[in-house]
Amino acid sequence: MPTYTDMTRCDGCGECVDICPSDIMHIDPVYRRSYNIEPNFCWECYSCVKACPQNAIDVRGYADFAPLGHKVRVLREPEKGVISWKIRYRDGRLKEFTFPIRTTPWGSIKAPSDYEAPDLSALTSQMLSHEPAALHIAALPTINKKKA
Amino acid sequence: MFTNNPFAALTDFLPPLVVQVYIVLMMLAVVIGTLFDVYHKGSAKFFARRRAKSDAAAQRRPSGGETFSLALETIAEAAVSGEFCKWPRRISHLMMMYGFFLYLITTVVMIFAYPAGAPTPIILPALWTIGALMILVGGLWFFFFLRVNVAYDGASPFHLGRADLFIGFLLASIAFALLWHFVQTGYHNPTASRILLGIYIFFTTLLFVSVPWSKFAHMFFKPAVAFQRRVEEANGSSDLPRPSTENYIVRS
Repeated sequence: MPTYTDMTRCDGCGECVDICPSDIMHIDPVYRRSYNIEPNFCWECYSCVKACPQNAIDVRGYADFAPLGHKVRVLREPEKGVISWKIRYRDGRLKEFTFPIRTTPWGSIKAPSDYEAPDLSALTSQMLSHEPAALHIAALPTINKKKA
Repeated sequence: MFTNNPFAALTDFLPPLVVQVYIVLMMLAVVIGTLFDVYHKGSAKFFARRRAKSDAAAQRRPSGGETFSLALETIAEAAVSGEFCKWPRRISHLMMMYGFFLYLITTVVMIFAYPAGAPTPIILPALWTIGALMILVGGLWFFFFLRVNVAYDGASPFHLGRADLFIGFLLASIAFALLWHFVQTGYHNPTASRILLGIYIFFTTLLFVSVPWSKFAHMFFKPAVAFQRRVEEANGSSDLPRPSTENYIVRS
């Protein structure tokens, strides 16, 4: 089910080119809008569909999988931490689902390089890197090695 | 440079009527080019089909007042380039758009209202120069740093393709307009001035004549698409899910 871009909606921002794990979303040399250069290699991950700020990308179902007008549309709202899906079945029924995807602001997760490097004593700790602070909790239970 | 009508010097060797006819021809080229573009890409058919599909799937009919309000919202969005999600592209686009309007309007006013060296209010050439500089700054910023094929697709900043017809001819036309005006007012070299004028006219003609092949027409169809999208959201025919009413961002 390869992706395709609605060229009238696309504003050529490049988010889909950036996020595509197969590197098949590229920029059309004539209209400078995105397009799928190799539909056969698209694995329908929906990354570009979710990332497109203009909702210009959709996934075209193959006729044997999704005949007669089946459609799946998605709307990601990072500012609310929500993703919503709208499914149109081949018999015309519509279903909508909304799921929370995170509870912290978009972009607030720090990269490992943004943290201070741990000292060597951390090697003997039962905590993973930057726990428990990174989990926003005061403490985590630990195993008493003597009892164990 | 900011105070002289750049087109006043044209009357030394060209009757004002010739310049006025040239402007009218360029306007006609834009109209014909846009209509041809709409015809050969089938954009009008596409819009009509999409509209019919949207009407058929509509859950409610927006009233006349609501539709008018949607049109106003679309114009307001287009006026501030609100459809762009990234601020550098938005600012460069706004600079080019308002620079182009300033440049175009002052050019038409100076050529039609103040021909044959009639005294021109200082504000007109000043706005003409400011408009041209805004296009140049916004355009060069866009061309070298913000073009999506350069910023995201690995193309060289000097890459030229068909998608660059509009921006390329626009930048060339404006750069030579400013150079011509600068040489005209600063150096008084008639030969250099005429050569630069020739190059300026050459690129300006290409800019308007290449409308069917360039991205010029997008300034007309983009607002039409934005309006249709708003109508689809209002009449319930949009295929996108409804925006969530809940906010799950509860931690900082």
